Amino acid sequence: MADVLSVGVNLEAFAQAISAIQALRSSVSRVFDCLKDGMRNKETLEGREKAFIAHFQDNLHSVNRDLNELERLSNLVGKPSENHPLHNSGLLSLDPVQDKTPLYSQLLQAYKWSNKLQYHAGLASGLLNQQSLKRSANQMGVSAKRRPKAQPTTLVLPLQYVDDVISRIDRMFPEMSIHLSRPNGTSAMLLVTLGKVLKVIVVMRSLFIDRTIVKGYNENVYTEDGKLDIWSKSSYQVFQKVTDHATTALLHYQLPQMPDVVVRSFMTWLRSYIKLFQAPCQRCGKFLQDGLPPTWRDFRTLEAFHDTCRQ
Amino acid sequence: MPVAEGKSVQQTVELLTRKLEILGAEKQGTFCVDCETYHTAASTLGSQGQAGKLMYVMHNSEYPLSCFALFENGPCLIADTNFDVLMVKLKGFFQSAKASKIETRGTRYQYCDFLVKVGTVTMGPSARGISVEVEYGPCVVASDCWSLLLEFLQSFLGSHTPGAPAVFGNRHDAIYGPADTMVQYMELFNKIRKQQQVPVAGIR
Repeated sequence: MADVLSVGVNLEAFAQAISAIQALRSSVSRVFDCLKDGMRNKETLEGREKAFIAHFQDNLHSVNRDLNELERLSNLVGKPSENHPLHNSGLLSLDPVQDKTPLYSQLLQAYKWSNKLQYHAGLASGLLNQQSLKRSANQMGVSAKRRPKAQPTTLVLPLQYVDDVISRIDRMFPEMSIHLSRPNGTSAMLLVTLGKVLKVIVVMRSLFIDRTIVKGYNENVYTEDGKLDIWSKSSYQVFQKVTDHATTALLHYQLPQMPDVVVRSFMTWLRSYIKLFQAPCQRCGKFLQDGLPPTWRDFRTLEAFHDTCRQ
Repeated sequence: MPVAEGKSVQQTVELLTRKLEILGAEKQGTFCVDCETYHTAASTLGSQGQAGKLMYVMHNSEYPLSCFALFENGPCLIADTNFDVLMVKLKGFFQSAKASKIETRGTRYQYCDFLVKVGTVTMGPSARGISVEVEYGPCVVASDCWSLLLEFLQSFLGSHTPGAPAVFGNRHDAIYGPADTMVQYMELFNKIRKQQQVPVAGIR
């Protein structure tokens, strides 16, 4: 409202400025008229020249005067739109045909939205920074200078070392057999067979686990050309659920400085699925809920829960 | 699943399927398991008065290209469907028992990873009982998921839940196969044949 009022105060100046502009225009057109008419109606050549120059000079003076007047007035008018929070777009509110083009109200709405969005995004980013899900060594706070130093250690490990870690884990759990292959260069793929319950395909990047897929013991884990099928999911709902939980586990177990410990804890967690069909839920004591057995295993205690029964 | 008092086999099947549908199971077409009995021909029997063995030739719509030949308590042979033609040629050794054909037909239901087949067992023109087959696909070792199956069975069979089938005890760590299902059907059919009108449920 204040802006509208201040514009109203300056209306006088506006009207004067507009008439000043009109005066300026007419004086300028007079200059050109005089130039167009040229020298005439005088007896002598000198008289004609003199009269023409005097006339031309008069016209230019009046242009100059009008221009000065306009400049003075324009200072009076000022810049009313500057202090409006929406800058020039704030002038849209002056549009009298509100009903046809509700541009201004929409604009305000959008402005509020974007303000709110910014506020919430700020809150969310603050919270997310507290519980970072980044699995690599370079954390948020690390400055750009130090970053290159931290990176290579965990991502580039000798193949032999990876093989050793995997075979040690393989020996650790007798009911779990791990088959390691490298079909595409240096990245290892593991086929983990857990008892007669399930098979897990684990895609690794160095010692980081990138992706896991859980399938049934009797399901085919190879594509037609004999490669490990890392894309298709299990046809059983149980194993689709377990795949989801395994992906959650990947994000839970993280220790960038010791990737081998991460793999070992993930496998230990995975091993608890040996009793997938035999363990009742620790909370409700039942086997089935919505047709599914307890598919969740607690990260610390490895106890079995239904997806909806866990805390 | 005993037929309820004063109700026909048909009505009990309807009751069962309605319970399954309330549970959230989806109908997935029909199924059929049939069984024919052959006995060894008299001419081939030994002079020691050895009793003729019974052989059962069975088909299951779940495995449309296979034919199952079972001996009582004996081995189970899984062959192509051409096996039927072979049996005709072996007339001299195996003779088909008259009017011995027994079969179960019904609807196939899917509930999550469970496959439920409720069928009416018929022998000749008369309905003899009801068969309920429950299959849990994700698990390959039968004894591992027995308690889980039991809980599922209780949810729609109520108090009529049967005990663990014999197949489970014999080979508790082996991988379950189609033959195991057929053995159970054979045992179920034999029971139905012997006891008139006392149906039993078979479980996978």
